[in-house]
Amino acid sequence: MARNGTKTKAEGGTSQKGWFDWLGDKLDQWVDWLATTKPFAFIAGRILVPYWAWRTPVKRLEGGPRPSVQPGDNVQRMMNLVMPLKDKSAVGRALAALAIAQNKDEIYAGLDNVGTVHFARFVIVDDNICMFSVYDGDFSNYIRDFIVTIGSVFDAVVELVEGGEDVIPSAKHVEKFIDWVHDHDIYQVSDVATDILRDQEEANGDAGAGNDDLRLLPRKLILQLNVNRNVSLGSGYRAYPGYSAAQVRQQFGVGW
Amino acid sequence: MDDPVAKRLVDSIIADFPDHDPGKRPIHTVGIGVKGTFEASEVARTYCIAEHFQIKRVQGKRVPIPVTVRFSNGSGSPKRHDGWNDVRGMAVRFHLAGDRATDLIAMTLGEFFVRGVDEFLDFTKSARQTPVKRESALRKIGDLLSLMRPLPNPPPGQNQSGDAGTLDYANKHRFAQLAVFQAGMIGAPVSYVRAVYHAVHTFFIVGPDGVRRPVRFSWKPVAGVQTTKDTSKNPDNEYLQEELRRRLKEWPARMMLMMTIGEAGDALDDPTVPWPARRVRVVMGTLTLKKVAEDQVRDGEKLSFNPWRLVPGIEPSADPTLKARRDAYEDSRKRRGVTQCPFLPE
Amino acid sequence: MSCKFNPADVQGNILRGYRKPRVRYLMLEISDRAAARRWLTAATSGTGGVPQIATESGQRWATKPDTCFNIGLTFEGLRALGTPAASLATFPTEFVQGMNKRAIKLGDAGPSAPENWEQPFNEPARVHLIASIYADDVAQLDRVQHDAVGGQQAFKLLRVRDGWCFDGDYVHFNYQDNISQPRFAEIHDRDSFSDSQPMAPLGTALLGYPTNFEGLKWRIPEPEPLGYNGSFNAFRVLEQDVVGFEEYLTAAATELLEHPKVNELLPPGAEANIQVKEGQRLPRHDALREVIAAAMCGRWRNGVPLALSPDTPNPSPDVSRTKFDYTNFDDDGAARCPYGAHIRRCNPRGGQIVQRVANHSRRLVRRGMPYGPAYVHDPAKPRDPNEPKRGLLGNFIGANLGAQFEAMSCDWLNLGLQDPRITGSNDPLLGANEPETSWFDLPLKSGAPIRLRGLPRFVTTKGGAYTFLPSMAAIRYLGSLTG
Repeated sequence: MARNGTKTKAEGGTSQKGWFDWLGDKLDQWVDWLATTKPFAFIAGRILVPYWAWRTPVKRLEGGPRPSVQPGDNVQRMMNLVMPLKDKSAVGRALAALAIAQNKDEIYAGLDNVGTVHFARFVIVDDNICMFSVYDGDFSNYIRDFIVTIGSVFDAVVELVEGGEDVIPSAKHVEKFIDWVHDHDIYQVSDVATDILRDQEEANGDAGAGNDDLRLLPRKLILQLNVNRNVSLGSGYRAYPGYSAAQVRQQFGVGW
Repeated sequence: MDDPVAKRLVDSIIADFPDHDPGKRPIHTVGIGVKGTFEASEVARTYCIAEHFQIKRVQGKRVPIPVTVRFSNGSGSPKRHDGWNDVRGMAVRFHLAGDRATDLIAMTLGEFFVRGVDEFLDFTKSARQTPVKRESALRKIGDLLSLMRPLPNPPPGQNQSGDAGTLDYANKHRFAQLAVFQAGMIGAPVSYVRAVYHAVHTFFIVGPDGVRRPVRFSWKPVAGVQTTKDTSKNPDNEYLQEELRRRLKEWPARMMLMMTIGEAGDALDDPTVPWPARRVRVVMGTLTLKKVAEDQVRDGEKLSFNPWRLVPGIEPSADPTLKARRDAYEDSRKRRGVTQCPFLPE
Repeated sequence: MSCKFNPADVQGNILRGYRKPRVRYLMLEISDRAAARRWLTAATSGTGGVPQIATESGQRWATKPDTCFNIGLTFEGLRALGTPAASLATFPTEFVQGMNKRAIKLGDAGPSAPENWEQPFNEPARVHLIASIYADDVAQLDRVQHDAVGGQQAFKLLRVRDGWCFDGDYVHFNYQDNISQPRFAEIHDRDSFSDSQPMAPLGTALLGYPTNFEGLKWRIPEPEPLGYNGSFNAFRVLEQDVVGFEEYLTAAATELLEHPKVNELLPPGAEANIQVKEGQRLPRHDALREVIAAAMCGRWRNGVPLALSPDTPNPSPDVSRTKFDYTNFDDDGAARCPYGAHIRRCNPRGGQIVQRVANHSRRLVRRGMPYGPAYVHDPAKPRDPNEPKRGLLGNFIGANLGAQFEAMSCDWLNLGLQDPRITGSNDPLLGANEPETSWFDLPLKSGAPIRLRGLPRFVTTKGGAYTFLPSMAAIRYLGSLTG
């Protein structure tokens, strides 16, 4: 029962256009074109965004998967840590690469014993060392178990990251470390387009207070991206959603 | 059996399309019937005992289930506007043993606009055709400065539309926002078989072990999803049926039937709320479309699909919209004077 | 930091239970900061009429005191006392946020969601201090309550809740409880507790000591006198649907009678082994009810663990209630205690779990007492719509709420991440179950289990709060705050 159907009237009949209409059309086309030009992009980015960020401030939304009690939401969760390196040169990036390379045994043995990780990898993007992983269950439990098994690797990496010195050694700063990691886990924009309106309401505690103009959705998104520079677009695709790493291993007969 | 609610529902739709042709469907009016087969996956029968999800063999050879499919444009106008922004429909009839059948009705929108009959009536009222107001250049500049999306320019020749009314409705009713937002930019597919179709409502399936599961179905095109990039002043408005005829002469088109299993806490009776992609997803089978039906009257226009035409193993949820569709489709069928649904109690 | 353990600095309800038959909780809001500080100071010495806070003696009491008095403070309570911001910032996030905000992690959704909690827990900002009184009778409770909060300006009494042991260690749902607790080398004599689990390091329950995780210590809130020897508590008001539970057992047993494999679960004649009262032989249906009840808990209702006695609640010779750890697979009890049984989910002991590093690490001290009258199940009697409220007033104590109580709740009690055979299901007794999707497997010797479905939610959270259980030094510190 789809809606949005549209209908025409007087189709085929050529309308008599005056020069006024002609001018209106031209102006209209000019505006459509204007929106695609570089100067407009410049104005939007440098003036309009700061202006609206000041006029209608938005809170930086929390990173990581959104809390849920439903089992499907609690397996195969995405962690996307983006951690700015202190040393923003090739040397800094090489140090990060080295820290990972030197700790391969530690990482693999640790992940085997944490038991809830599907995939985990380190990536360098520009001046950030990133850790992307897919894990089951609660975030704090995941990081805590991680600290227990490979805290030393975490320490070696986090030491190279801005602000990292305050939370290492991780085994001595477990609570602070978990909060710090959570803070670096990027915001996951919902798969449901209109959820960004709801997320912001929740963060601002103004649920139901006139945020209902759908046409404002682009601005809300822009302003969130202004305070949350790195985001995950959606919660990601899963080939076999709803199953834990251990369930997959058990099903394949490779032990868990 | 005259159902006053069903009648009001159908009337409200008809009122949205002033050029409605009484002999035709009040919505999804333009369509094309296609013949094909459906083959259940190996695992389908472990979830559902319905006949079309079993693997049927005759003398050791697998026999697929014959199907009739009708693809359609969402609009209730009898004029073809293939190139316009519109929701498309895909109604599938599975022909079962002994002249029985079951239907699965789907559309390219993942969610519905409203949750029940009263909301539907309100929504259709707000969706009445009003003269298209092209946003003025000045307003557009205002939008740009406000970091808002200017209203899209209407396609040439479109002087009336329900878009302004639906947007206004969505801004006043949160449940409608997602569907209105998506419908506003759904575009036009390059082919009827290059779009995803969602059955939207929740159904309950029953497995051989008696376990009932809440599920939602979607058709995923093997050829992939593609919408037109035609932004020309005069988009082609008559290509979808021709494309399908051409395509099926050369090669069958396939669609995969995906079933998502809901969890406690997922919206069961509310088609405006999507389910997360994090639910268990089961491949239920493959549809193979073979040819455009020769008799478009019999296998298209005179068919009457109904989301409630189900077989043992699939049950409707308590979704009030699903229930309302049962009766509205039946009412509409009567008005068109086509074959009756065998399941409705007289 | 002092390394020598001084038991007299620790509140007395943490490392050991008092084993008193009655408890009363006073939910208090601080209305006068200065008076509250004076009250705290007085409570450390029992002067000025304020009851003295009971402490750990380090050894068995020669004579048990008539009553014991203890306190816990919420984060809002610490703030109301004027604890410096720098100090507040050293408390863990989950405690700062409070139990209401952590609801999703605890499975407190739907009917258990905080918006449905009872007063005063629906206004968490007002719950500052929860005092507990343990006693032998109500007159004693009244007396201590009067001494503690009668005629003073420091607090507003928001609500009183009483718990009582109506039948020794039996709790609602008619199970024996309070069997297994973490034991500490500093407190308990190893030889008098036969348990296959290792003794718990002091850091399981107290801040400032080694934990179950090698080389890992929890942060001690600052300054040291405030944090050291402190502990955290998850106080919970858990309502139990006793009628619904017995009805479910009846329905499930009826269904099982028709199950093709029922004779494997309970061989014909084996009902003779399942005696609830001595000498009384249960009909097959009633015996099956007991088999299901035992499987859901992991213990027969009399406390005998399935891991040691899978076929009967009356083993001869008798078996230990605690000396098992789900590792001995030759003994079919280890395999036949369902992986999803309540006690196995909450504490998998040494058994195989997915998160290997977490074995023994999420243990909790549990101090609970039922509320509401005893329920006697009578299948002939229809459900009384005015059935009195029943439940448990529970304290789940540990040095780190996130690593113990929350970790246990979100991944193990619900979700069942610790074992792929139960992942996606919730605890049969305590879990946030919905009949449409819930399930629970009864293991069979031959392999494939019998799956029970349609379990409703038997336990609904009605309130609760995260509290800090300060040491005596900490209470003195808080009492001495100025400004």
